[in-house]
Amino acid sequence: MPEKYFAAIDLKTAGPFLALIALIVIGMLVNEAFLSTGNLSNILARSSFIGIVAIGATFVITAGGIDLSVGAMAAFISGCMILIMNSLMESIESSVTIILLAILASIGIGALAGLLNGLLTTKAKIEAFIVTLGTMGIYRSLITYMADGGTLSLNFTIGDIYSEVYYGTLLGLPYPVWVFLLVAVVGYILLNKTVFGRHCFAIGSNEQVALYSAIHVDRVKTMTYMLQGVCVSIATIIYVPRLGSASGQTGILWELEAIAAVIIGGTVLKGGYGRIWGTVVGALILTLIGNILNLTDAISNYLNGAVQGIIVIVAVYLQRGAWRKKKH
Amino acid sequence: MKILQRLVPVITGCLLLGVTANAVAQTIGVSIPAATHGWAGGMNFHAEETKKRLEAAYPELSIVLLTANSASEQANDLEDLVAIHNIDALVVLPFESAPLTGPVRNVKRQGVFITVVDRGLSEPGIQDVYVAGNNVEMGRVSAQYMKQRLSGGGDIVVLRGIPTVIDEQRFGAFMAELEGSNINVLDNQYANWNRDDGFTVMQDFLARFSKIDGVWAQDDDIAIGVIQAVRQARRQDELFIVGGGGMKDIVRRVMDGDRLTPVDVLYPPSMIATAMELTALKFISNAPLNGEYILGSPLITPENAAQYYFPDSPF
Amino acid sequence: MPEPNSHFPIITARQLHKSFGDVQVLQGIDLDIYGGEVLALLGENGAGKSTLVKLLAGFETLTAGQLELRDLDGSSHSLAADWTIEQAEKRGVVLIHQELNLAEQLNVADNIFLGNELKRGLLLDQKRMLQKSREYLQALNCEVDPSTLVAELAVSAKQLVEIAKAYAKQSRVLILDEPTAVLTNRESEALFILIEQLKQQGVAIVYISHKLDEIERIADRIVVLRDGEMIGTYPASTLSKDDMARLMVGRELSQLFPEIPRPPDSAEVVLELQDACVPGTIRHAEFQLRKGEVLGFSGLVGSGRTALMEAIVGLRRFSEATRLTVKGRQNRYPTLAAARDDGIGYLTKDRKGCGLLLNMSLPFNFSLLALDRFSRGLIDVQKEQAQFEAAVKTFDIRHKDDSLTAGKLSGGNQQKLLLAKIMAAEPDIIIIDEPTRGIDIGTRTEIYRFIAELAGNGHAIILVSSDMLEVIGLSHRVAVMCRGELTGILEGEAIEEHEIMRYATGLKSDLDKQKEPLCA
Repeated sequence: MPEKYFAAIDLKTAGPFLALIALIVIGMLVNEAFLSTGNLSNILARSSFIGIVAIGATFVITAGGIDLSVGAMAAFISGCMILIMNSLMESIESSVTIILLAILASIGIGALAGLLNGLLTTKAKIEAFIVTLGTMGIYRSLITYMADGGTLSLNFTIGDIYSEVYYGTLLGLPYPVWVFLLVAVVGYILLNKTVFGRHCFAIGSNEQVALYSAIHVDRVKTMTYMLQGVCVSIATIIYVPRLGSASGQTGILWELEAIAAVIIGGTVLKGGYGRIWGTVVGALILTLIGNILNLTDAISNYLNGAVQGIIVIVAVYLQRGAWRKKKH
Repeated sequence: MKILQRLVPVITGCLLLGVTANAVAQTIGVSIPAATHGWAGGMNFHAEETKKRLEAAYPELSIVLLTANSASEQANDLEDLVAIHNIDALVVLPFESAPLTGPVRNVKRQGVFITVVDRGLSEPGIQDVYVAGNNVEMGRVSAQYMKQRLSGGGDIVVLRGIPTVIDEQRFGAFMAELEGSNINVLDNQYANWNRDDGFTVMQDFLARFSKIDGVWAQDDDIAIGVIQAVRQARRQDELFIVGGGGMKDIVRRVMDGDRLTPVDVLYPPSMIATAMELTALKFISNAPLNGEYILGSPLITPENAAQYYFPDSPF
Repeated sequence: MPEPNSHFPIITARQLHKSFGDVQVLQGIDLDIYGGEVLALLGENGAGKSTLVKLLAGFETLTAGQLELRDLDGSSHSLAADWTIEQAEKRGVVLIHQELNLAEQLNVADNIFLGNELKRGLLLDQKRMLQKSREYLQALNCEVDPSTLVAELAVSAKQLVEIAKAYAKQSRVLILDEPTAVLTNRESEALFILIEQLKQQGVAIVYISHKLDEIERIADRIVVLRDGEMIGTYPASTLSKDDMARLMVGRELSQLFPEIPRPPDSAEVVLELQDACVPGTIRHAEFQLRKGEVLGFSGLVGSGRTALMEAIVGLRRFSEATRLTVKGRQNRYPTLAAARDDGIGYLTKDRKGCGLLLNMSLPFNFSLLALDRFSRGLIDVQKEQAQFEAAVKTFDIRHKDDSLTAGKLSGGNQQKLLLAKIMAAEPDIIIIDEPTRGIDIGTRTEIYRFIAELAGNGHAIILVSSDMLEVIGLSHRVAVMCRGELTGILEGEAIEEHEIMRYATGLKSDLDKQKEPLCA
């Protein structure tokens, strides 16, 4: 088990799980509808967007980077997919073919967008924070421009078929949940069992040492951004069929939610240590908070943001607290 | 002075008839927020369309349209309009009321005719004309429809916008109108005038309440999300949704007699067009013009939907 | 015993004890420090030298024992729990760290007067501070301009500034913790002269160093520590270097440097460098390296040895004209990975900054360079663990458990782990840069043994070191660099300290001066 490499900090695992369990208990107390299959499957499906994006972010952050552009990128890719599908309507008969082409295009655009972020940070040597802040602005205004400031809507015929991807289920679980699970498993293997993952840890831990350990630092860092881009496009592929639309409002603040999920899960913000399952739990926690607040009127609407903030801080405190105990 | 909602077609009619007075070149400056969300996108669309239409009909009129991303950018735009474009009249939809009151006052001091749209300035006496929608009426009309539709009583949920004055006015008027009726508001939550939040908030309402008779979504973007959530839960037969704004997709549904969205409540992004036309009228006809033009929020029903349907608008 | 200038010690310590939690770091230390003498502290890494001087200078508080300081007027003060750095400095006890403690973004004068600024009214009296600083620096024979930014100074100059700072405070006890680790031989010489001057002025010097010849040269008395215990206090004149090493290690060191058989002249040339130039650092270098050979690289700090090595392994760029031939094939490596794949290993001199991930576990560090060898798609953790355990035995890496992070290891064990990491890639040409810097003598001998073994079984080794004895003791040939040029390669009898110094300082050079340098 690779965990033993990080034995000094593996008690961190307990923190986010404790917070998750606590939230589930609170949910049960607040409303009995919380445990209904419908609600549980809603929570899982909903957390899959942020979750998948956050899995990509786990790689970027573990390797010492940051990507603020993901929310705007998701909106931009959604817009591209809708425009592509709507325009292919005239030339291609089969809706399924159109959807598959749009999915391919989506992954391509995501990878390219990630490549751009990666090259700007590694080759042009601009801080990741600034690069991705810049591309965030670019994608955000591109989607607004593409939609004329309004909303792009997917053609109804295609939307009807495509919507199965979000609303359909397998073994009782919605497809997005399966996709989320698959991405998490692949992400876990990639981060913990492969040379690439090790290199991410090493670079985040000390870039200079990584360089002197024959690691292609620039290449690996760029690949983390590409991976992030692909994760964003996967999230988009299951997001578009939900409402069949994209606008300047799509994906607003996803970047911060994804980063929050990653940090709640125990990944270190300055890099060098990352946990995929922690990130998954982090995404679930964020979704649960919103869900529970909607299930109760005990807390004034005006205070929703405060409750979210407190829970996020407590979750991270639990995680760090476990670490402190181990240290002494 | 208060002219009601039927004003727009009347003015447009006058303009198209070509009520001409003087042919001296006139410049109208238009300063509005950029199209960062659906309703603003619609408003931008109407501004562009009106600019084209007015300039085509009246060669002596030229219209300068500037969009701003923030209040301070808009203040700069106002200075430019005066200094560079030398405008004779200004149509402004302020980003925020307080910070732009001073800059608009400065424009006024240059002798420019001022038309303020939607968000009033914090100081009276600056504007010559004020054109606005009516948030209170929007809330009231929505509630009236609820009372009429659920005359035997019922349970409804409310999805609100972003915590702002606009939202408070709409929500307050809605609740006040319901007072004394036997309609029970199960809960209200913010959905931020946004489709995704409309979807998730409605999913949770559906999980929480086994019986919902009606939904007030307050905004058509929210309504789109609500529709998808209701369909996913397969509960479209038990309830109906009242949106707001006049988005073409929703108006279309009303027109088509969709039973999930039987009506919509107008809060027209075309109010900018009204304001521009009124201002143009001042120069074309030399008519004495001032006062407040509060546009109504009529109920859009299958019978009248066609006249609120703009298929080319982004909103 | 040489007669101290004063009959009473400035500091008297009796039965000092210090423990961190359950760990006893120092026990039963007795010490007298007199003005006007150099007292050397000798011991292996972990013997407790640094802890002891930290107690004296107020960085740590003692657990038990008596510590007394005698003021100039003869009155004695017991240094109890309130002994802080500020207290110590006020009473004239100053510790100059291995890691220097200067404000990099202030100028030299500001640093010298940091905390004691001269003022005129409310404002700083810059002029007087500059002038005073110039006086102090002159008294120390130091040519640094007091208005220079400290960040722009060489490490050796920084150390002089630290000493000037102590001098300005009229320190009575000056503690130097491995001052020459970062100095070249010439700079060390200057330091020794300075120490002699301070001694004449009645200052007590407490001196820590691993370099026995230095201690032999400047110490008046020697205190030997081993595992936190006091072995004894000896007049320096009575101990030979061998005696010192024996006392420190507690066992006989028959020979520090193992015999490494010289490869035959017919041995294959595995690496040849011609017309080498690295724009900005290396102007000219040419040499050959044979199988089984240890080629030493000597030179002053900044002579370009590390830059040359980094260029060979692909961490820096050679000029177009440079020809590097490795195992018969002409090649220049675009990346360190390419050099590694061609069988070249590079052991960096910056163990903590470039060599090891201090917050990662030992196996993680061990396999990092050669990770591809442990992976076919997925990393074979069992194979990795097995090889790590084998390396722990081979390299004698002493650690409590594998989950320990590399930063928790002692310097010597870190160095052995770094060596194991390089060897995991199974290189046949190994470039070792300063392998024993700041390492105790026990570990040193182990590292020398590894080098001998590697050369013995056919590896070719380049040994870059500022430790002259090490280079002379281990190398078959010694290449010397001076200001970016490889000025000569010495063999046989010519390998001798003074000859190396002549080449290193530029007094002597085998380069054809008529020839244009290859690049600027």
